[in-house]
Amino acid sequence: MYSSLVRIQNTFGFFTTVAFVVAAFVALSDFVAPRTPVIHSLKTTNLQVVRGRPHYYSSKKEEYAIIKFSLDADLSSLFTWNTKQLFVYITAEWPSTTPSGATIASNATANQAVIWDSIITAPSSDHLANIGPATLKKLKKSAAGKPIDPSRGKLSLKNQRPKYQITHPSGKMASTEDVTLRLHYNVQPWVGLLTWNQNVDYGRWLKLQGGLSKKFNLPALKKKDEGKAKS
Amino acid sequence: MLSSLQNPRQAAAQLMNFGLILTTAFMMWKGLSVITDSPSPIVVVLSGSMEPAFQRGDLLLLWNRNILSETSVGEVVVYNVKDKDIPIVHRVVRKFGVGPAAKLLTKGDNNLSDDTELYARGQDYLVRKDIIGSVVGYIPFVGYVTIMLSEHPWLKTVMLGIMGLVVVLQRE
Repeated sequence: MYSSLVRIQNTFGFFTTVAFVVAAFVALSDFVAPRTPVIHSLKTTNLQVVRGRPHYYSSKKEEYAIIKFSLDADLSSLFTWNTKQLFVYITAEWPSTTPSGATIASNATANQAVIWDSIITAPSSDHLANIGPATLKKLKKSAAGKPIDPSRGKLSLKNQRPKYQITHPSGKMASTEDVTLRLHYNVQPWVGLLTWNQNVDYGRWLKLQGGLSKKFNLPALKKKDEGKAKS
Repeated sequence: MLSSLQNPRQAAAQLMNFGLILTTAFMMWKGLSVITDSPSPIVVVLSGSMEPAFQRGDLLLLWNRNILSETSVGEVVVYNVKDKDIPIVHRVVRKFGVGPAAKLLTKGDNNLSDDTELYARGQDYLVRKDIIGSVVGYIPFVGYVTIMLSEHPWLKTVMLGIMGLVVVLQRE
């Protein structure tokens, strides 16, 4: 009963049990940390609809919407010791239309498309982000030994160009009505459940305040002799 | 080993024990599969297309039931391309329509463009039934063993050899 093999087995079993308990503890600690995400403002600054092709060689022509926006947000309370990264994204949402062109107002988010996203790593996962060795060294040095810098969660973008130009399967985007921009976030932990922004308060986790922009309409197709249409 | 042949009852008990362990593991897996409604409720990340969130070797727990709300934009989903057996873990970036016929487009966080080239020929969007689950839980590093086993098949033989050795030595 005391062979080295049995000892190795017992040690390994104990290791897995301890690792499991520690992981469960870390995952549950997420629910104890309060979350108070706040969006101060989210608004569009420039709207354009242009014609284009999905790829260089494709013959299909589609309409693409380019929605520039300004954002002022404070998501620093989402960073805890268990946060690996924060994925922030802004979607444009609009209701669907019947074939005759009338808007089906009952579902204002029937169409959703991400126009911009950003990955904000926590200091514990900076080494996994796509940054070069010099920047990494500087970042590590500035973050070593300190609590998570709140500026990591503070976003302040002015007239930001969107990352993605969005289209609809029908190919038509011009003059779409009742479009809104909405900010979402996804907290990726080191261990545990992935969480997104919620619509109600769960205990210490407060819902996102103010992540919705005003409704706007997309302009008609930009013609060569007309100026840009603003909302 | 010879001692077990002389004691068939003990050998039968050992065999039954072994079978019990195997079937318990199998039933736990299938039970989890039924609860989550996903054919493969635990997946290992194989590629780096979702870095820095998921690295190769991380374990993901999937959930395939839409109890409170539909699968929406921003969720990380696992899907199979039509007729291919490779599950892909990416994030939903576009959704058009509601219900099971809604069109979904996915993209890996670490990829520059969306997954249109990965889909089957003529398929521009996914629908809900292509998705085998959305990621709800995450455990780092644990799955790296399965990646090592699949990329270095000789490891499987070594592991089986060691397990066989352990069984033989324990009998004596």
